[in-house]
Amino acid sequence: MIERSPYFDAFTYAVMIIGLGLVVFPFWVVIVAASQSLQEVSSVPISLLPSDQLWVNLSEAWERGGLGTKMLNSMIVSVGVTIGKITLAAMSAFAIVFFNFRSRMICFWLIFITLMLPLEVRIVPTYAIAANALMPFQAILDVTGLTWLVQTVSGVQVSLNWNLLNSYTGLILPLVATATGTFLYRQFFMTIPDELVEASKMDGASAMEFFWDVLIPLSRTNMLALATIMFVSSWNQYLWPLLITTDRENFGTAVMQLRFLIPTMNGTPDWNVTMAAALIIMLPPLLVVAFMQRWFVRGLISRDK
Amino acid sequence: MERRAVYRNKVLPWLLIGPQLILVLVFFYWPTSQALYWAFTLEQPWGGGNLWAGLDNFLYIFRDSRYWATVLRSAFYALAATGISMFVALTLASFVDRSLKGTKIFQSVFIWPYAIAAPAAGVAFRFIFSPEAGLVGGINELWPGIWDPSTNGIQALAMVIICHAWLGIGYNFVFFLAALQMIPRSINEAGAMDGARPLRRMLDLQLPLIAPTAFFLLIMNIISSFTDSFGLIDTMTEGGPVGQTEVMVYKIYVDGFKGLDYSGAAAQSIVLMLLVIGLTFIQFKWVERRVHYN
Amino acid sequence: MKTNWLLGAALTASALALMASPASAATKFEFWYGLSGDLSEKIQEMCSRFNASQADYEIVCVSQENYENNLQNTIAAFRANKQPTVTQISDGGVVDLMLSGAFLPVRQLMEENGYTIDWSNYNSGVASYFSTSTGELLAMPFNNSTAMFYYNTDALKAVGFEGLPATWEEVEDVARKMKAAGYECPIAMDPTGQWQWWEQFSAIHNVPIATNGNGFGGLDAEVTFNQGKFVEQLTFYKKMFDEGLMVHKSKAAGQTANEAFIAGDCQMASSSIADHGTFGTQAKGKWDVAMLPIWAGTERQNSLVGGAALWTLKGKSAEEYKGAAAFYNFIATPEQAQHWSTITGYIPVTNTGFEAMKAAGFYDAAPYKGRELAIQSLTYTPAGEYTRGVRLGNFGAVRVEIQKAMQSVIFDGADPKVALDEAAARSNEILRKFEQTYKGQQLP
Repeated sequence: MIERSPYFDAFTYAVMIIGLGLVVFPFWVVIVAASQSLQEVSSVPISLLPSDQLWVNLSEAWERGGLGTKMLNSMIVSVGVTIGKITLAAMSAFAIVFFNFRSRMICFWLIFITLMLPLEVRIVPTYAIAANALMPFQAILDVTGLTWLVQTVSGVQVSLNWNLLNSYTGLILPLVATATGTFLYRQFFMTIPDELVEASKMDGASAMEFFWDVLIPLSRTNMLALATIMFVSSWNQYLWPLLITTDRENFGTAVMQLRFLIPTMNGTPDWNVTMAAALIIMLPPLLVVAFMQRWFVRGLISRDK
Repeated sequence: MERRAVYRNKVLPWLLIGPQLILVLVFFYWPTSQALYWAFTLEQPWGGGNLWAGLDNFLYIFRDSRYWATVLRSAFYALAATGISMFVALTLASFVDRSLKGTKIFQSVFIWPYAIAAPAAGVAFRFIFSPEAGLVGGINELWPGIWDPSTNGIQALAMVIICHAWLGIGYNFVFFLAALQMIPRSINEAGAMDGARPLRRMLDLQLPLIAPTAFFLLIMNIISSFTDSFGLIDTMTEGGPVGQTEVMVYKIYVDGFKGLDYSGAAAQSIVLMLLVIGLTFIQFKWVERRVHYN
Repeated sequence: MKTNWLLGAALTASALALMASPASAATKFEFWYGLSGDLSEKIQEMCSRFNASQADYEIVCVSQENYENNLQNTIAAFRANKQPTVTQISDGGVVDLMLSGAFLPVRQLMEENGYTIDWSNYNSGVASYFSTSTGELLAMPFNNSTAMFYYNTDALKAVGFEGLPATWEEVEDVARKMKAAGYECPIAMDPTGQWQWWEQFSAIHNVPIATNGNGFGGLDAEVTFNQGKFVEQLTFYKKMFDEGLMVHKSKAAGQTANEAFIAGDCQMASSSIADHGTFGTQAKGKWDVAMLPIWAGTERQNSLVGGAALWTLKGKSAEEYKGAAAFYNFIATPEQAQHWSTITGYIPVTNTGFEAMKAAGFYDAAPYKGRELAIQSLTYTPAGEYTRGVRLGNFGAVRVEIQKAMQSVIFDGADPKVALDEAAARSNEILRKFEQTYKGQQLP
């Protein structure tokens, strides 16, 4: 679109403004509704101008949903997943790209297959092992007779029982288990020139020293990009926390809580409080996307290559 | 993947890749095998026993007309939401690509929907579309009863699809814009000099060049219609009315966790996983082809 | 990887060692229930009273929002060996639990812990749902109710009706008059309310929902709700909807039936007696409650009990069971039982309890007047073959089929017989699958 006609420019601006309207409208509705009183939000048709009840509704939503704990839980989970993914992915990609060991390709494919199967598609299987995630290890121990051995020798019954209900590990680990970060790092590591590696070797540096002193500093932007994507995606998790949390008060996450704040049977239709809650809960990832945009976009795009 | 400069440690790579391998084994392969076990037997909800059922669970769902209705509905949902989302995103990206003054602001805002969790958008849109509240529901003042997604399945499905499309705009926009910006200006200018109008140039020049990106987005959007849809449907319609907004993932949830039919849900899950793997496979093959072509 | 399991083993060992040390404080045990809002607060109150009344046990009560969630979460916890000691399971979840053997029969629990309870004192209508087919209680009845019909008496007076309708003919007639008088919503109806609009209908008109005496006789039962009177009833509901005499009110529609009745938007509604208290405090205008209407000329039978009972789950320690038994004993004392039936609309579950409250004049005046009708409805006749309850496997899923049939007829204009036939076919498939899953097992 090279033309510089004023009509076309005006048309362009018009289109973009309409687009802006479309994108921003739901946000606007949330803010407006969150700032209205019960009567205002229940009136038909509703006014599209904000009112003055914002703070009142926000505190009500915070109280009612116990959002203090929930936001904290979400923060713990998101940060946990982000850190977990970044570290593990870097290590695995390093191993795959810079080492030549037997079964390297098998390991690569084992990890890569998980790339495209997000948790929602795997809820039943993941739930199936939630009762005891260590069952395969327990089975191995039993079958090889090690359990019996340990028991006879020390009288200790080895019972590996690790259930994922109501725990941070249960919320974090299944989300760390996919290959998104590994793939991203792999693509990046593949662009590292051989000369760099050889130079490091000639300096007498070990593999780990190369990792720490050369690769990690170079990967900083990638890490940031991955971190932003992972934070947003794990904050927004819904189905898995819903299934794995029976103690909602202590282990519920913020996004999960929204469902229980929809105006329910024995209550008044106080959508204004619900919208206030939605506003609080939407904020952290929105801030991340808005302010970390450059890295965020870079992270999204380089996934594809 | 072949490089000359590699390390020859024997143990170190295993230590490095170990943690992720263990996680993947414990949280991916082991659950899948357990789900296969459930799918081939009849699992009691409280535990305590399985009865071998062979292919029965799979035959049961394949014979079920409601299952196929759900599959069709999921396909429709995927294509409609994807189509709307990609169309809007492409339009916006094309105009932003002109880089007029001040477009930076528009650009940053257009990404915002990506940050929003599906349930949050679901709750907001539910309010927007609710028949008794004052936004879309206002239309009921003029024609009473015309807008009621609680009884009209088509309206309910439309509502969910629109919300899903909105959610996808950010993601699609980022990719389309990047793809458009990668097209060398010289090509566009050559086209302009040949007298081609903007729309013509769009269709003949730019679209083919961004086709790989579009294809990639198509697959990613379809996969997202399997995942994000859960959060939307659970907050907006809970699968109703009369199950007319039940898509495959939601049906698995309802059958398994509410209906206590773990084996049936497991069988459906296996089918869904195979479907998604198939889609990924197709996409990977295509991307590979493009890379080699370049 | 090797260090992982060693570490795990060491941790487990030390954890076991720690747990073996004697517990000095009160034994804690958990109680999960499926009520929310107002009723949830009442349960919490009950729990604090129990804790305050003795020092040996401490009950921790957790709300899981609704019965469905509670069942789901209890199962998840049970599979992970993290189940509560006491859980509140409603009629729909009972059969799966019964066949799983995951519970401790309440009679056994109380006997082993030295409490003597007069089990025959329990209201037969209530007890039969949670008992074996020979009448032995397996769970502790707790919050039980039945369905009633609520009327806005101001509206009845406005159309000149004396007293309260007792037959469907009268209900239809009154609804028509109300509509003509300008009332927009004579009857609030939610098709997902199959408990009060469908199952209760079957009981009081003495038509079976399934063979084998509504399933009590064995797992090979088949549903029969696509025949005869059922088809007529669904056709009747459709007619009422088409004429605007019944209006769809539900959570999805933005206002539930109860909310509509409370706000005075609708004049008649059918709901549990448990809501009697809520209506009392919140409803606008004058209202009253009556037994469910029957078709003229039918002999009324007793209605089905609703609500839930308290089930004790296996796999807990002896101390926790002692605590659970103490709790059951506590809620069974006349004072507690009466208190519970006062602050909520739930009915007293024992015969003596009911008699005592009646003798004390509890039911003579507002706001409790009318609740005795629930007992009357439940005991109108001794529990018969089709009125002692419904014992179908995976009943929750069958109920969904019924709901879907009602919705498709009312919303989408499907033919009642066709919709019911489809629902019946699917329900039978569900039942057969259930039978196969528990092959060879008998219903208790």
